[in-house]
Amino acid sequence: METNDKLLKQFFSEQKQEIADNGFSNRVMRNLPETTDRSWIVWVFAAFGMAIFTYFGLTSGLFEHSISLLFKSVPYYYLLAGIACFPLLGTAGYYLAQNKNYQVI
Amino acid sequence: MSNTDDIRWVTQVALLGDKKAFDKLTCKYQSPIRRFFLNLTAGDGPLSDDLAQETFIKAYLNITAFKGISGFSTWLYRIAYNVYYDSVRAQKKYADINEWEIDSQHQTQNEFSAEKMDIYKAIQFLRKEEQTAVLLFYMEDKTHPEIAKIMNCPLGTVKTYILKGKEKLSLYLTNAGYGN
Repeated sequence: METNDKLLKQFFSEQKQEIADNGFSNRVMRNLPETTDRSWIVWVFAAFGMAIFTYFGLTSGLFEHSISLLFKSVPYYYLLAGIACFPLLGTAGYYLAQNKNYQVI
Repeated sequence: MSNTDDIRWVTQVALLGDKKAFDKLTCKYQSPIRRFFLNLTAGDGPLSDDLAQETFIKAYLNITAFKGISGFSTWLYRIAYNVYYDSVRAQKKYADINEWEIDSQHQTQNEFSAEKMDIYKAIQFLRKEEQTAVLLFYMEDKTHPEIAKIMNCPLGTVKTYILKGKEKLSLYLTNAGYGN
């Protein structure tokens, strides 16, 4: 069994060849289909999030309150962190919308 | 070029749709993937190039499904394996035509065949699954667990394929006077 393994390893190492590209990669690149740009989903989610935030910010007096807190030295980066969440949520939504045709390995 | 490069290029393709990054992946893996098909198709250069092209296009279209749990190479071979068996299934309707005869005709028509007749002949003595497992193990240096992922079958089955393939190939090579 050991001898068989050695024999086969020798045989395959002798037969192993590196195949030159010879324009293969270029042919593949030329034949790649144009994929639909779905990055707009990110902006839709971001805009939707901003709209909700603005609406509730205005109606609840959060903006006025935040500004007054700002002047009272309360960390305003809480607000910035909240705004920063929307693109992240948008990105997550974008990836959930992708098709997954291949098994996860 | 390491697996880290693979992950970086895959991320660029998946997030930004960067075709240049995909070109780098294609350049890196074109040789092993084409060699894999070339051996499976008994040296049919044009067919193996077509199958390899289909593999890369499918990889590009489904790149967001790559989770990085296994290496990119393993994932790519999994696609290649599926592409090859889809092609075999599509050819089943021509089963009455002598496959070996066709393969032999192709062998005389392509640039790779001249010095590679031995391996193509030897491989023909194995079942399709044994061919795949043996080629991945001995030629492409894949481990048993990686082959099990590529072929989507239990580890024990892969070991059996390799063992049986090894026995048949050793017998063929010994009878052909190889290694004496």
